[in-house]
Amino acid sequence: MEIQDKLIEATREIFSSMVMMEITVKEIMTDHGQLHDSITGMIGLAGTHKGVLAVHLPYAVAMAITSSFLMMDVEEINEDVHDAVGEIANMLGGNVKAILSEKGRDIDLSLPSTIAGSQYSFQSDKQIEKMIIQFDTGTGTFMVEMDLEK
Amino acid sequence: MGKNVLLVDDSSTMRKIIGRSLRQAGIDFDNIYEAADGLEALEVLENESVDIVLSDINMPNMDGISFLREKASRDAIKDIPVLMISTETGDDIIGEAKALGAIGAIKKPFTPDKVNEVLGPLL
Repeated sequence: MEIQDKLIEATREIFSSMVMMEITVKEIMTDHGQLHDSITGMIGLAGTHKGVLAVHLPYAVAMAITSSFLMMDVEEINEDVHDAVGEIANMLGGNVKAILSEKGRDIDLSLPSTIAGSQYSFQSDKQIEKMIIQFDTGTGTFMVEMDLEK
Repeated sequence: MGKNVLLVDDSSTMRKIIGRSLRQAGIDFDNIYEAADGLEALEVLENESVDIVLSDINMPNMDGISFLREKASRDAIKDIPVLMISTETGDDIIGEAKALGAIGAIKKPFTPDKVNEVLGPLL
């Protein structure tokens, strides 16, 4: 199975088992341009594979996911949303590490971090191989991005 | 006297979800204590009666592996069982955790059924 398929499978598993939300692949993309009214959770990879794994969520989708995750109403981008998005990135990072490194010792993961804003770019100044998968939650779309140094 | 559990994870969201999964799995604890890293976990273990610890591995300040190592060096708490709940499921890392006393591991993401399957027989 290709890395892209494994990443799709891992994302679906995280959403179905932890967020209680079924998601579908909407589009495979090579660029997402500027992000608007969004929150990004990211985790760095170092070692045999260097890069970043990120999940980009429009505010409305991030709040819907956090509400489902925590089983409570969330109506603003607060600490709970940042924490939930960071944890989704963390779980995705763990899955990517398992995909890229069977035994797990030759890749180190950073702790997850999040950024949010009305308009921002997410890009690298390194030569990277970029993979972007857009998912549909039924209430909106979000993207999972994996950037690996060439 | 009932049983007490300590949940160790730097994500408050994940601590809530693990607590919810325990209830959904039908595993009742009298007290659910929480800690955001290994240092906080050691403090809870030194001050509260805890029957089992569910711990993440990747955490700031003191990670799960360092927590296991430090716990093993303290006579008063070294025998409290620890089950790892982590995205880190590589053989090397889980092997190291088990060598330091961890009794098993659950991979994130998980379902309440998985928690019950692994944790149930240990209680």
